[in-house]
Amino acid sequence: MTYFRAVDPFPLESADHTKLHEFYSHLASGRLVTTRCLDCRTTAWPPRGFCGECTSDRFEWVDLPGEGTIHAFTVQETGLPAGFDGRRVFAIVKVDVHRVFAVLVDADPLQLRIGQRVRLAPLRVADDPKGNARWLPAFTPT
Amino acid sequence: MRGVALVGAGVSKFGVRKASYRDLIWEAGKVCFDSIPGVKPKDVEGLVVGSVMPERTAFQSHISSLAAEALGIKPSALSARTEHMCASGTVGIRYAYAFIAAGLADLVMVLGVEKLNQPTGEEAILNMSAGVDREWEAAFGLTAPPCFALAAQRHMAEFGTTEEQLALVGVKNHNHAAKNPNAHFSKGATLDQVLGSRMIATPLRLFMCSPITDGAAAVILASEDRARELTDKPVWIRGTGQALDGFQLTSLHEDYAHWPALKRAARTAYAMAGVGPHEVDVAEVHDCFAIAELIAYEELGFCHKGEAGPFAAAGRSDYGGDVVVNPRGGLIGCGHPLGATGVAQAAEIFVQLRDAAGGRQAPGAAIGLTHNNSGMGEHVVMIYGRERA
Ligand SMILES: [Zn+2]
Repeated sequence: MTYFRAVDPFPLESADHTKLHEFYSHLASGRLVTTRCLDCRTTAWPPRGFCGECTSDRFEWVDLPGEGTIHAFTVQETGLPAGFDGRRVFAIVKVDVHRVFAVLVDADPLQLRIGQRVRLAPLRVADDPKGNARWLPAFTPT
Repeated sequence: MRGVALVGAGVSKFGVRKASYRDLIWEAGKVCFDSIPGVKPKDVEGLVVGSVMPERTAFQSHISSLAAEALGIKPSALSARTEHMCASGTVGIRYAYAFIAAGLADLVMVLGVEKLNQPTGEEAILNMSAGVDREWEAAFGLTAPPCFALAAQRHMAEFGTTEEQLALVGVKNHNHAAKNPNAHFSKGATLDQVLGSRMIATPLRLFMCSPITDGAAAVILASEDRARELTDKPVWIRGTGQALDGFQLTSLHEDYAHWPALKRAARTAYAMAGVGPHEVDVAEVHDCFAIAELIAYEELGFCHKGEAGPFAAAGRSDYGGDVVVNPRGGLIGCGHPLGATGVAQAAEIFVQLRDAAGGRQAPGAAIGLTHNNSGMGEHVVMIYGRERA
């Protein structure tokens, strides 16, 4: 047996694996959605399967705006995990009243500033072990 | 509650070690037992082991039993592992403290151990990504440096904190580490070296960051009566506090320059100890990154909010200042073997309050503090005293 690494850094996004699969299927079609509690009407980010406010487990999916503003960002140049390359721009994006953690793609780090507008640009990552496409939320400057 | 004291402590050499997980346990256990000749493994009633990711780095679970056997301890009152990312060691000390204070044990060892270095550096960093949320953070390639870089960006924008002030924390802690034979780094550093080191995540450069380190540390806690039998110089646990704001970055206080959970944990610990921030002589704070040490000064009450940069630059957190912070070199200089860090902080306060820290001694230290965190929103504070109360 040769040395090997057995780890998958991405979520398993399909209905076989997560109650939140609709988040990812909507994301694949370019929509950013999250959960709203059917009992207390709290809208959460990220989406949840249990309401920490009222203990409900009944939710509906609601759309978030496809645009937001940069709240904070940093550019990681070195020291990234295996499988990830620098430069990588990590940001907190204000979307409506929510703060969304994501990467910024197609962004020149020198041109970025806090308060700048960005739009959703879903990022396709490695397929899952069964060959299903996987997506993560990402943003790009407008 | 009964009084509880540290009666023994020891730390392995920290660094990129040619040593197995078990070797590190043996090394820390040996120096800890050597520090308190009246205690043998058969006397120890309980063992708590802080260790974060041996499942990935040593392919090993079942850690507390492994460590007990390695050290010849046969627990009769308590055996457990604590995992709370970077704060695992101090969380373990709190468990042992509570057990002894409640009368369920008289003598408990807390050991922290981590073997983080792997055949390739990028795999070691990949493992570290297990400490942030897999689905919503780690999947993006997030590890700790960019999180704390975001806090630095906010602190600089809000309070005018400078890269030079951040760098001075790196200079201080690297220079402190040069006096600590167990530290990862031994050469010290100049301001130019820190400011010239490679960029990790803006504005944090390499010498403003803790490295990937292997190491272990152990302390022995005793009930009041047992402590007085064993030593003339017990180091008393005077107060403890823990508070959490949240786990994911987007659950924390909106402005990462503010760490309200640390303020709450500190308030609890100070109240319990009956001391205030200006009575602390020596502090081990969680400088995983230079910005964390600066924000800790503020939230622990060593200086006012927003004034940590000038406080550091004026030398007020160094020998001759208001409080000696991170005399052993901190996480930046000693390294950060996750589960071992909180225990090593306690071990440093143990020698400092016994006036046994040699060239690192904070003169006349009577009150010591440790601060261990596991992210910007999760904090643990311990206060120790030379006197019982
Ligand atoms: Zn609800």
